[in-house]
Amino acid sequence: MAARDRHGSGPPFGDVFKVVGTSARKVDGMAKATGEAVFTDDITLPGMLHAKTLRSPHAHARIVAIDTTRAAALPGVRAVITGRDLPGRFGVLPWTQDETALALEKVRFVGEPVAAVAAVDEDTAIDALELIRIEYELLTPHFDPLDALRDDAAPIHDTRERNVSKNVLLEFGDVNAEFARADVVIDEHYSFHGTTHAAIEPHCALARLGADGVLTLYSSTQITHYVQRTVAKVLELPEHLVRVIQPCVGGGFGGKSDPFSLELCVCKLACITGRPVKMLYDREEVFYTHRGRHPMQMHFRTAATREGKLLALDARTVLDGGAYSSFGLVTTYYSGQLLAGPYALDALRFDSTRVFTNKPPCGPKRGHGAVQPRFAFEVQLDELATRLDLDPIELRRRGALPAYTETLNGQRITSNGLLACLTAVERASEWRVRRGRLPFGVGLGVAASMYISGTNYPVYPNEMPQAGIVLEANRSGLVTVLTGSNDIGQGASTIVRMLVAEELGLALDQVRVVAADTDLCPVDLGAYSSRVTFMVGNAAIDACRKLRAKLTSALAAHWETFEGDIVLSEGEAFDRKEPTRRLSLKEAIAIAEAKYDTLATAGSYNTPKLGGAYRGGTIGASPSYSFTAHVAEVRVDDETGRITCEHLYVAHDCGRALNPMLVAGQMDGSAYMGAAEALMEDHDVDERGLHRGPSLLDYPIPTALDVPGLSSLIVESIDPEGPYGAKEAGEGPLHPAVPAIANAVYDAVGVRLRHLPFTPARVLAELEQQRAALEGRRARC
Amino acid sequence: MTSRPAPDPVFAFELNGETVTVSAPAHHTLLELLRYRQGLTGTKQGCDKGDCGACTVLLDGSPVLSCLTLAVTVAGRAVTTIEGLGAEHRRAEGRPHPVQEAFDRSGALQCGFCQPGMLLSSAALLRKNPSPTADEVRAALSGNLCRCTGYAQIIEAVLRAAAVERGEDPPAPAWSIEPRDEEP
Amino acid sequence: MLRMPRFEVSCPESLPEALALLAESELDTRVMAGGTDLLVALKNRLEVPQRVVSLARVGGLDHVTEQEGSLAIGARVTLAQLGASDLVRRLAPALGEAARSVASPQVRQVATIGGNALLSTRCRYYNQSHFWRKALGFCLKKDGTLCHVVEGGKKCVAAASGDTAPALLTLGARVTLESQHGVRALPLLDLYRNDGIANTVLRPDELLTELVVPAQRPGHRGAYEKLRVREAIDYPLLGVAVRLDVDPDSAVVTDVDVVLTALQAKPRRVARIDSLIVGVPIHGEAFEAAAAQLGLRARDQCHPVANVPGDPEYRRKLVPVLVRRALLRAAGAA
Ligand SMILES: Cc1cc2nc3c(=O)[nH]c(=O)nc-3n(C[C@H](O)[C@H](O)[C@H](O)COP(=O)(O)OP(=O)(O)OC[C@H]3O[C@@H](n4cnc5c(N)ncnc54)[C@H](O)[C@@H]3O)c2cc1C
Ligand code: SF4
Ligand code: FES
Ligand code: FES
Repeated sequence: MAARDRHGSGPPFGDVFKVVGTSARKVDGMAKATGEAVFTDDITLPGMLHAKTLRSPHAHARIVAIDTTRAAALPGVRAVITGRDLPGRFGVLPWTQDETALALEKVRFVGEPVAAVAAVDEDTAIDALELIRIEYELLTPHFDPLDALRDDAAPIHDTRERNVSKNVLLEFGDVNAEFARADVVIDEHYSFHGTTHAAIEPHCALARLGADGVLTLYSSTQITHYVQRTVAKVLELPEHLVRVIQPCVGGGFGGKSDPFSLELCVCKLACITGRPVKMLYDREEVFYTHRGRHPMQMHFRTAATREGKLLALDARTVLDGGAYSSFGLVTTYYSGQLLAGPYALDALRFDSTRVFTNKPPCGPKRGHGAVQPRFAFEVQLDELATRLDLDPIELRRRGALPAYTETLNGQRITSNGLLACLTAVERASEWRVRRGRLPFGVGLGVAASMYISGTNYPVYPNEMPQAGIVLEANRSGLVTVLTGSNDIGQGASTIVRMLVAEELGLALDQVRVVAADTDLCPVDLGAYSSRVTFMVGNAAIDACRKLRAKLTSALAAHWETFEGDIVLSEGEAFDRKEPTRRLSLKEAIAIAEAKYDTLATAGSYNTPKLGGAYRGGTIGASPSYSFTAHVAEVRVDDETGRITCEHLYVAHDCGRALNPMLVAGQMDGSAYMGAAEALMEDHDVDERGLHRGPSLLDYPIPTALDVPGLSSLIVESIDPEGPYGAKEAGEGPLHPAVPAIANAVYDAVGVRLRHLPFTPARVLAELEQQRAALEGRRARC
Repeated sequence: MTSRPAPDPVFAFELNGETVTVSAPAHHTLLELLRYRQGLTGTKQGCDKGDCGACTVLLDGSPVLSCLTLAVTVAGRAVTTIEGLGAEHRRAEGRPHPVQEAFDRSGALQCGFCQPGMLLSSAALLRKNPSPTADEVRAALSGNLCRCTGYAQIIEAVLRAAAVERGEDPPAPAWSIEPRDEEP
Repeated sequence: MLRMPRFEVSCPESLPEALALLAESELDTRVMAGGTDLLVALKNRLEVPQRVVSLARVGGLDHVTEQEGSLAIGARVTLAQLGASDLVRRLAPALGEAARSVASPQVRQVATIGGNALLSTRCRYYNQSHFWRKALGFCLKKDGTLCHVVEGGKKCVAAASGDTAPALLTLGARVTLESQHGVRALPLLDLYRNDGIANTVLRPDELLTELVVPAQRPGHRGAYEKLRVREAIDYPLLGVAVRLDVDPDSAVVTDVDVVLTALQAKPRRVARIDSLIVGVPIHGEAFEAAAAQLGLRARDQCHPVANVPGDPEYRRKLVPVLVRRALLRAAGAA
């Protein structure tokens, strides 16, 4: 398949890139700066109805009866639906489809959707919700995963083992033997709390059933393709009659990567009423929708030699999954699979158990599944460095995997810029002269990580390409690119435009990208697992090469020269040997169209066969990995326990920076988000299952006054298979932020933080314990 | 609830430089009026409770939250939304407002959802203070949450706009590319 | 969008007109100044009035004037104005700091000093949506019969959360309340009651029209310290205002006042502190020791409960720290 071609990492013509590597503006930058950009809630259709969701006030209950008659009779109400109207089960992964659009027999968390109303306006819809009567029979709720695992716990789903959503136990190498020969073992418990995406745009969906029988859904989603499949399945429609369009999306971070209740409800309501129906979640509903970071309790043991060579890691993890599966199966694998790098190990064992609890469902948040174990392991490495009296950067350097190798769980590593990342942060932070020498209360900490650049594992198994692109070169001089990929602000469409412009020698404004409309665009799996630049980029180059061949061969015939001498560059075509032969690309396209008829090509990308030959061996296998290192500089107020992260030095190996400004934006955004998770965010429910604060007031995300100084240092390792050598940049740069801060706190005040979040109260308590221990020691002397 | 709802008040105000006369229910916010009655969807809604700043508009030139402003209370006052920002620049000089240009130039726009509010707060700051320090920019934008950027490129953009208006060189970005060993 | 209950809005142009509207009792009425607290309460259905009287157009409420060192502040003066006012910076620095610490620039642009002084008490079980509170089973303060903060409690202990009140209290501020029945002037402290549900003595037909900060002694200093998660937007988890009067010649403390907020329904003045610090010179170790002592005394008098977010035990530990820091900062700032 063309998909597996290696396109090479050099420029298509000559030795210099014309577009790639520039900080070109975004395709939609000015539209966004002028308010012209259209997000889902900005769309109003004639005759549109407004829908609202009724939610469960109970954490765990059986639905005994629902009476919607009074609501349906309210003037202005056009339709009321409950679980029975949409009984089809769904879920983003085909193996764990445990969701329904509206609760069927049971509710499993406070805030779960139970019924929906479409009415002439929101006021009426809200009034109607109040008129729906539901009788519940309360069941015992479980909020603590260990509690939910007990034999006498109430079952949340019908699972083989009580409330176990997924268990993965894998061992590579002989862990026990490695521990037996170890000089040092660090054995500690760590915990990561829940955090959520908090994209500023709340979820919104708008559906319309056309007279032609086509159901069109506009949705703030990162995964148009999976949404299309899910709508077709649940509404029992042929897939080709469902069209999903993603308008501008106001941030996702993984929080819009599942098909959601509101999408299915507006579709159903539109079908029932024959009118367009919109539903916009309010901020509180977004918190219930969640799919954020899984809380994890981690027991990690690391074995090493006296010299700091890492021998083995033995990890036991309990993941708090919340009420539904979402991507949880993958999360469970990721919690261990991605520990096989970026350091060489002789043995790795992980035993991860995801547990259902009566909380909003967890799912994929930026750095999916790997941020929590990365925290534990990188803190553990710091503990090891302390024990061995080694510089923590040096320890990591010694342990770093080389480029072009395979991890012990069978993941193929290609380009690897980890060492360059470590060097970059070491230099930028003046680590050698500052670490360990700063005054009490100020400290530096390091951590590193690796992450996938897409996965070779589509969420439903199939042999088709993971990314497809269609190009049409128009005699107007415009090349239109159709891509199913989702630009959610990260700049996917901008990258596609840049690649096409580079390949075909076009000016940027000669390339128009049409994205994320399932009627118009070839399938792309969506904006998740950092796959877009790598896969869609490769598909775009693939399509361009085919189009370019037509252009150059038509021109070669026209000029009676060799194809290889034709150069397409900056809106012009010329003959390298005879540069006076020169045409605008508009003219070149016309010549090619005359010769080959309408000019259109398709390109695609699929991963090569990757991963270990064992069950789950493909999960976590990626065509390439990105690498990151952070140094955090913190200031700890020992009277208040408050940690201020003064600066984050972030070095990230993104292969080639196709657009460094956009890469830096992803690095900044990732790093700050990680720091915020460490220091202030906490997504949790109270002892009744009520969310502790479903608002942007009570779930504080940083203001411009709360972010560290950010130095994003772009490291380019040039990947052999990425588009011109590019890899991901949108998720990897988050991972080290959390452990780097923890390790910096140790440098600053000597307190080892193993449990998140690092609230001032917790830090102060740790400092007090430390003081008490010191005094105790002094008293004993 | 009143049994017989009072008729919706009718009032006039200046909207992006033009006087408009509208009627809106007394319990509707300015945000609702702008987005759903005036079709000015550039003003965004992130929380509807005053917590995020996405709905920021300028009221008589100063940034306020349209989700916490009753529509009727803007009677007789001047409201500028993102659609109106830079209108005078476009008319007079055929270019957007310097902050719009700078945000696009610096990569400060990711998803763009916080941007209308962010841009209006920035424009108001630069009007009052054409040479702000980075800390002053942070303070002025502290009521506008952005979840995408980590604020670095936003602050850079505001400083860039200020520098460009003063005829100076824009500040260097905080990011950089590490020197690379030769390609494989 | 979030829905507010249907209500009418009146925008009176003068004080008598406004007072007349408040005197009519057939419609359940709320006063709105900046509306930054009231609108959120309406969206959460914490308030369900039939009419809202906006003060936006009422003349004569937006002055900041000085008379012989005394500061008169109209109730509709915004926190942005106060925060930027040179008069305030000079005569009542703690008030300026407190005003600048409130919420965000956009909120301060419209939020008024009157609204801040009359801010309703806050509680993690109360400042939530109707759905959330219903799922909880409501509470004493609104629609319910239980308190979730104090088990079995019969009295609401929601927290005073306005930032400016403690600063104003240390300055000995007085407030003017007007109704059709006349004018009352009372010390700000007497405006407040220690009841989370009815935390002020303001009557429904009354308006707060003016605050007066009396002339301070020469050598007056003040500061406001606020505990919060973020550097903007957040309400106080603890607020500490201090006033230090210092003899300009000898630089010794002649009087002191410390008021805390975000503890209970009424801001709390720390008692029996004069002896700890009066007579101590503000420069030097003795002052630091006295400030620390004073902090401990404050802690002994404060008992944070789990009304606002954050661990109450932690908030208690922070009382002496914030008190000491406020005193040191006041002493350092001439
Ligand atoms: C996101 C956010 C963050 C916030 N953070 C803070 C914070 O950090 N610190 C803080 O102190 N506050 C905070 N607030 C609350 C509020 O914005 C301020 O307290 C503000 O000062 C209230 O003033 P206002 O004029 O807007 O009050 P309004 O909402 O208009 O009124 C508040 C109350 O006072 C009454 N009232 C107002 N004026 C008068 C008058 N003259 N006579 C009689 N009654 C009157 C009203 O009826 C109402 O009950 C925050 C609000 C939001 C939305
Ligand atoms: S203190 Fe008790 S009664 Fe008062 S608001 Fe909180 S929970 Fe309700
Ligand atoms: S929508 Fe107004 S502040 Fe969030
Ligand atoms: S750019 Fe997405 S929230 Fe700011």
